[in-house]
Amino acid sequence: MLVLTDIHKTYRMGETDVLALRGVSLDLPPGQFSVIMGHSGSGKSTLMHLAGCLDVPTSGSVAYGGRNLTTLSSRERADFRSSEVGFVFQKYNLVGNLSALDNVALPMLLRGTSTTQAHEQAHAALDQVGLSGRTGHRPSKLSGGEQQRVAIARALVNDPSMVLADEPTGNLDTATGDLILALLRRLPQEDKMVLVVTHNPEIAETADLLVCLRDGRIESAQSQDAQQTHASQKVAR
Amino acid sequence: MSTNLLRLALKNIASRRTRSWLTILGVLVGVTAVVALLSIGTGVQEAVLQQFEDIGYDIILIAPFNTAGGRMAGAMGGTPSGGIAASGMAGRLGATGPTASGASSTGGTFSPQNLTGGNDDPSPSGSGTQTFDSQRSLGTGLDAELLLTQVPQLVEAGTLGTQIHPVDAGTTSGFLRVSTPSLEFLEAFPSVLGGFQMAEGTTFTSTTENQVVVGARTADLLEIHTGDTVDISGEVFTVVGILEARESSDEAAESEESNPLTGQGLTRSLGTSQTTNLITRGLGNTDDALFVLYERAAEVLSGREAMSVTITRVEQGASISETMDAINVAIGQQDATGTPISIQEVADEIQGTLGLIETVLASIAAVALVVGGVGLMNTMYTAVLERTREIGILKSVGARDRQVMTLFLIDSGLMGFLGGILGLVLGSVLSFFGTRLLGPSLGVGSFSPVISIGLVLGVLAFSFVLGAFSGAWPAWRASRLNPVDALAAE
Repeated sequence: MLVLTDIHKTYRMGETDVLALRGVSLDLPPGQFSVIMGHSGSGKSTLMHLAGCLDVPTSGSVAYGGRNLTTLSSRERADFRSSEVGFVFQKYNLVGNLSALDNVALPMLLRGTSTTQAHEQAHAALDQVGLSGRTGHRPSKLSGGEQQRVAIARALVNDPSMVLADEPTGNLDTATGDLILALLRRLPQEDKMVLVVTHNPEIAETADLLVCLRDGRIESAQSQDAQQTHASQKVAR
Repeated sequence: MSTNLLRLALKNIASRRTRSWLTILGVLVGVTAVVALLSIGTGVQEAVLQQFEDIGYDIILIAPFNTAGGRMAGAMGGTPSGGIAASGMAGRLGATGPTASGASSTGGTFSPQNLTGGNDDPSPSGSGTQTFDSQRSLGTGLDAELLLTQVPQLVEAGTLGTQIHPVDAGTTSGFLRVSTPSLEFLEAFPSVLGGFQMAEGTTFTSTTENQVVVGARTADLLEIHTGDTVDISGEVFTVVGILEARESSDEAAESEESNPLTGQGLTRSLGTSQTTNLITRGLGNTDDALFVLYERAAEVLSGREAMSVTITRVEQGASISETMDAINVAIGQQDATGTPISIQEVADEIQGTLGLIETVLASIAAVALVVGGVGLMNTMYTAVLERTREIGILKSVGARDRQVMTLFLIDSGLMGFLGGILGLVLGSVLSFFGTRLLGPSLGVGSFSPVISIGLVLGVLAFSFVLGAFSGAWPAWRASRLNPVDALAAE
């Protein structure tokens, strides 16, 4: 369970303080597909970065499995990301000079796994996302959809307990986006917690929990049941 | 884990080939310069010191000048200029007559290069005669046997005279240096005359016959062989032996080409020309001389004494400085003139000077290495800027700060190391050719560069450390990047 309690995050931009998050509290249980929506600048990505230990809050606490992540050292946060978190980004964020296989193996190589074992697992992960025939290609030789699938394979290769995706279908056409969404959607069945930040309402419709952010605050948080009731009410009217 | 980081760094270097090679080139140039200069410098040092070692560190020369004086080296006629000029002389002899133009231009010294011709009557004339006369007083006046009794630390002593004589070999003629060692001298101090090894014929067999042993180049110039006769100041001598060449004619020619003005080579440039030329070029140069036994010379070539050097050998274990003090006292007691010169002291002096030169040259070369390091730092700094996003990616997938730093350090260290290896190879090749070119002009003949294990390991370690050090600040900067900011970089 990821528990965010009264999170505040302030960025300093020149002489101005920008309040990205203002007292956000949220519980995200394992095996749940959660979606965060909101306008640009509402604090979606900041929330995802805090959840994945890429950043620390200005105040408040982030806890995972009862462990307070806000007090971790830089090294401990890196280890936490390595073992518990898989990131998927809108711009794929693959290392350009590495092949698809090496990109996927990268988290394992950084953990000290032998190259042979890392490549074996990377092969398996790429096979899972349907890219077993493209392992030797560099990112520049792959389509957007293929690159995002490589990114998903990389996010999954260390078998993390949470997958955080920031606009994973933002740069993809509808068909490819659906394919990526299907890949992400099946992860909760493996008891992984999935948190997707998106503008896409179609993804929101599939969420177990939909959180809407506005100006750094939670505007609404609805479970799937509540969403369905809300949708039924709209149809009845 | 470090193996994985090494592999990742190698892939990164390979993926940025052009920039990596240009960076490596910067280090390569610096390392090449350092390796070439150090190996050549050490080679020169060893070659020069070998000459002294060959003569013997237990030898003390007593030269007929004060250390501040300056007439003897030229008078010995054994400098490269003498030898090389003699080479030139062969082509000029026998054409226009026996004029000895400008022979006094070097301050009372005689040099065959000043000759423009020769014929059946090669007697000196004009300024040449004046020069000859001026040399007559250049002797120590020491009694070597008396010296042995005066200075108990000495075990052997002998005098080597040197004269300049008109020499006629039939087809060619000219003024040449005639050394007059005694039989005892040849037995006691062959090392002073380069071993006095025969290439042809034998050494002296008689003190009553007119026998001459000829230096290799002089024999070539005069076109003579054993059994031939030569006329020395009107006396006919039979050639009984020809000495082994100490310096090849090619080397001599190269020496002349590369340093035509002085021909004195390294020893003069070191500022110790008088003493060291006497030792390494004057006495040791047997190529450009004829040798007549002192006993015969005293009888048939008397009145032609140009100068003499007394040579002594110190008893094993005796103090060189105390012996030299005792020699000075003995010179005074004999009412003679002369300055004792210890081979050991001269060698130490040259070693010190060469070491200093080597250090200065290596320091200059090190500047090139530092420039290479700055280039490497620039490349790494640019790489950090360019790879900011990649650093963010690495951190997002679990890379620790230290791992990011290590990755960049390996990256720069490897480029430095590669530059070191290639620089070492190129520097070695250059030093090999460099020694071939520089040897004759430095006055040490042919010599080999010294590329020690210490130099190899030192250069490789230093180039890796230079690379890593140059990349340290950019790497540290990379490791400190906030992952969120790094991921947001374009």
